[in-house]
Amino acid sequence: MSLRIAFRIARRELRGGIRGFRVFLACLALGVAAIAAVGSVRESIQAGLSREGASLLGGDAAISLTYQRAGQQERAWMETISTDLSEIIDFRSMAVVGQDRALTQVKAVDAAYPLYGTALLEPAMPLAEALDGADGLPGAVMDPLLIARLRLAVGDRFNLGEQEFVLRAALVREPDNAAGGFGLGPRTLVRTQDLLASGLIQPGTLFSSEYRLRLPAGSDLGALQAQTKEALKSVAPRWRDSRDGARGVRIFVERLGAFLVLVGLAGLAVGGVGVSAAVRAYLDEKTETIATLKTLGAQGRTIFQIYLIQIGALTIVGLTIGLALGAALPVVFSPMIAAALPIPADFTIHLRPLAEAALYGALAALLFTLWPLAQAEEVRAATLFRDAATGNRRWPRFRYILMTGIVLAALVGAAAWLSGVAKLALWSAAGLFAAFLALVVAGRMVRAAARWMGRQKGLRGRPTMRMALGAVGGPGGEASAVVLSLGLGLSVLAAVGQIDNNLRGAIQRELPEVAPSFFVVDIQPDQIDAVRARLADDPGVRKVESAPMLRGVITRINGRPAKEVAANHWVVRGDRGLTYSATKPPRTTLSQGAWWPPDYTGPPLISFAAAEAGEIGLTLGDTLTMNVLGRDITGTIASLREVDFSSAGMGFVMSMNPSALAGAPHTFITTIYADQAAEAAILRDLSTAYPNITVISVRNAISRVAGLMGSIAAAITYGALATLLTGAVVLIGAAAAGERARTYEAAVLKTLGASRASVLANFALRAAILGAAAGLVAVGAGGAAGWAVTHFVMENEFAFEPVSAFAIVTGGVVVTMLAGLAFAWRPLSARPAQILRARE
Amino acid sequence: MSETILELKDARLSLKGNAGPVDILKGISLSVPRGETLGLTGPSGSGKSSLLMLMGGLERATGGTVNVLGRDLGALNEDALARFRRDHMGVVFQSFHLIPTMTALENVATPLELAGDRDAFARAGEELQAVGLGDRLDHYPSQLSGGEQQRVALARAAAPRPDILLADEPTGNLDGATGETIMDLLFGLRDRHGATLILVTHAKDLAARCDRILHLRDGVIDAGGAGQ
Repeated sequence: MSLRIAFRIARRELRGGIRGFRVFLACLALGVAAIAAVGSVRESIQAGLSREGASLLGGDAAISLTYQRAGQQERAWMETISTDLSEIIDFRSMAVVGQDRALTQVKAVDAAYPLYGTALLEPAMPLAEALDGADGLPGAVMDPLLIARLRLAVGDRFNLGEQEFVLRAALVREPDNAAGGFGLGPRTLVRTQDLLASGLIQPGTLFSSEYRLRLPAGSDLGALQAQTKEALKSVAPRWRDSRDGARGVRIFVERLGAFLVLVGLAGLAVGGVGVSAAVRAYLDEKTETIATLKTLGAQGRTIFQIYLIQIGALTIVGLTIGLALGAALPVVFSPMIAAALPIPADFTIHLRPLAEAALYGALAALLFTLWPLAQAEEVRAATLFRDAATGNRRWPRFRYILMTGIVLAALVGAAAWLSGVAKLALWSAAGLFAAFLALVVAGRMVRAAARWMGRQKGLRGRPTMRMALGAVGGPGGEASAVVLSLGLGLSVLAAVGQIDNNLRGAIQRELPEVAPSFFVVDIQPDQIDAVRARLADDPGVRKVESAPMLRGVITRINGRPAKEVAANHWVVRGDRGLTYSATKPPRTTLSQGAWWPPDYTGPPLISFAAAEAGEIGLTLGDTLTMNVLGRDITGTIASLREVDFSSAGMGFVMSMNPSALAGAPHTFITTIYADQAAEAAILRDLSTAYPNITVISVRNAISRVAGLMGSIAAAITYGALATLLTGAVVLIGAAAAGERARTYEAAVLKTLGASRASVLANFALRAAILGAAAGLVAVGAGGAAGWAVTHFVMENEFAFEPVSAFAIVTGGVVVTMLAGLAFAWRPLSARPAQILRARE
Repeated sequence: MSETILELKDARLSLKGNAGPVDILKGISLSVPRGETLGLTGPSGSGKSSLLMLMGGLERATGGTVNVLGRDLGALNEDALARFRRDHMGVVFQSFHLIPTMTALENVATPLELAGDRDAFARAGEELQAVGLGDRLDHYPSQLSGGEQQRVALARAAAPRPDILLADEPTGNLDGATGETIMDLLFGLRDRHGATLILVTHAKDLAARCDRILHLRDGVIDAGGAGQ
């Protein structure tokens, strides 16, 4: 009965239009659109990755081996299960042109490559033709970046090791690039047979081989995976297939997408402030109607229902606009987004992200409107006007407080469940909630401080300043709404700024101070002494460390599968560097156990990194089985030692006694700490004298990592800017809502003799005070979030970054002043008589 | 006869309405000598409040002239009018028009501060004491009753010692007893500061306390009802 009446009354009330709900609709639509758009782009990329799975992987399935090529037996197995087979060898090397040299990620392919997709070359030609070469030299194609760096032109020659190649074309698109992951150098593509002549692949060289298979239609990928793992057990193969062709990229996109959705949720929270303010303003206007309805016998519950129905109807409108925008934007901008992505994406309307965004939007709208709706129910006709005037709002009934709690829990729960990064979502929600509370408290403190300052004797005689402070601190002011809405948006931006700067700082400023200039890998045992001699003579070299190096995968711990014991610890994920030493190396500290005697030849012994051992739960006496180049070696942990992996120097998780690894082909790795001025000569001399070795400049690697970090930070900054945009809408809404009050105030002030300039200065000043306050609180909240992420997630030292903080405060002031002054024209131009008469 | 402080010559006011211009004042000519208390009476819509607004420079005449203290208000721009009011006029409204974000003390001090008075707050406090609100200095308008708000408005209008006090139905929103108190205060202030008082009122007994009464009807001075 009551609900039917509520519907009827709600419908009648909505006939008046939705003019007062522009901010409500804008806030809701913006927040939902941002989440829907991010989700849609993420889904589009996932769909593209899944469609192009085989092409990205280079085959229906791929079997990777580390530091070895498949022998006859392994090849025979692969040929049995596939219809086509292609072998790829991938490793780092130096491309050399005269005195110029650059790091490159070489991919050597056979005639069958690529099994799927096509390599796009410039000038256009088939890949096979390009690799055939010219003038009696084998051919190569290169990433345009590398061509530019080496100042090469098509037809020029360059060296990989001892083999000369002719550059036939630029490699514009590599069909299987996304599966390759992050390489330290741009790509060079050559034929395997030509590479073998280069002398680059020698025993112990760090290379990987991958065998791409075209499988008969209808193959059972899961069964084939299991059979292959068993059949090729001795070479510890890694299997990937088109079910998840570009796993790394997919996970990255998934994580980044999830993070951006969380940033979008922060935007929705900011929008929630606007939604709440709009509903409050609407209900304030309706107090007379509510009073009348109550006088006529309407119960509190009916009042609640009437306005809940109205807000619900408007929420549907807002959600529809937001979803339409969020679905359309990625499709409209698909050519631009696709051009910027190195991976395929299927831009179309995806329902799942839209449903997700709608759920978030609906829950947020309910969360932020329940409270004012419940307060409207409590309005008593007799005290209506005085309550409305003084802002003495009552607390809603307990059932509404409980409902608010349930809706909040549902929203956070949905974010945790749907984002796929539950822990991050929960922490973000906690951070957001804390920022929310901090901003509410800050809003009150700003008001109290403004009130207190406005009453100071020093301000007497400075009416503009005092009036501005009075307006900020007085009843019915905008302080709380502005500090909350703008502050929340700025907090997200400030946090991103602080985290980004700390990350860059850690990478660019702090690390190089302790990091070596070069890593030199693939040094053959017969070359190491000569390399050391060259460096020993150089006065620009401060320190050289070298160690023999092999790579191995920990397969078992105490006889049990390693991944079962160590879960997903990084030490058991993929292959790890392994060294040997007869004596305890200098500057090595053992925390437990003892080093083996120099002439020890007994069963294999291991010295393990202490911190990692602690994390996995390893102790002295535990046994580890490692697969090194297809051979299983089981050793016992004899000592634990301190290893600092953060210094970017040489750090091995495992060191063994020399006899344990006797006969295993290996190379040496050397780290060179040199003055920057000496670096060029070292690079030139070493790579000229030993064409097979690879010299990796740490400086270049760091700038590549920093570049990647920069792109991620940029994506997050765009997300944060969307949040700020919502904040600006809320701000404009607040400014627009306050226009009537300011018009009235200006009329009274003009009556009392204030000039337009002083009224304008008063408005500008109060906007600046509020903007600065919001900015300062945001810097505090953002700094705290930045500290938490830097300290707990990145495990790094936090350094407050003042430049972005200053920009945030300035931005806050500018945005608030612009919003405030945009709505100052009417108050300034209106004639006092008209305004005051209207109030009589 | 003392000097003329305010003079209107054929002053007219037309406002734009939905159905075309509406003539509110249709040629008012009058002069007010310094120190006089003038009552403006007349039925609703007769133009008495509009006439008061013209006198205060809050509304611009669309015809004729309004001269106050020898200055033609029609020749002054918005800011010059504001400064003129600051230096010479105090206005009291039926709806008080206090600034809601300021306390009583701050409301009263504002015109003094705008005029550059260094003792603005001390004087504002004295004015509030004088209207019996010495214990409500830090209260916001919303925390005061209607009568108290109007007393603050009176104190605010009188504090700068204006040459002219304009009061637009200052008791219109108040009950009889409270209205009586307000009028006593208004006349008391006027007597203390020697300002010229121009008062719009419906109440005949209040108008009777003025030196002269002008009765308005349909935008013109009703000669039959005028004078005392």
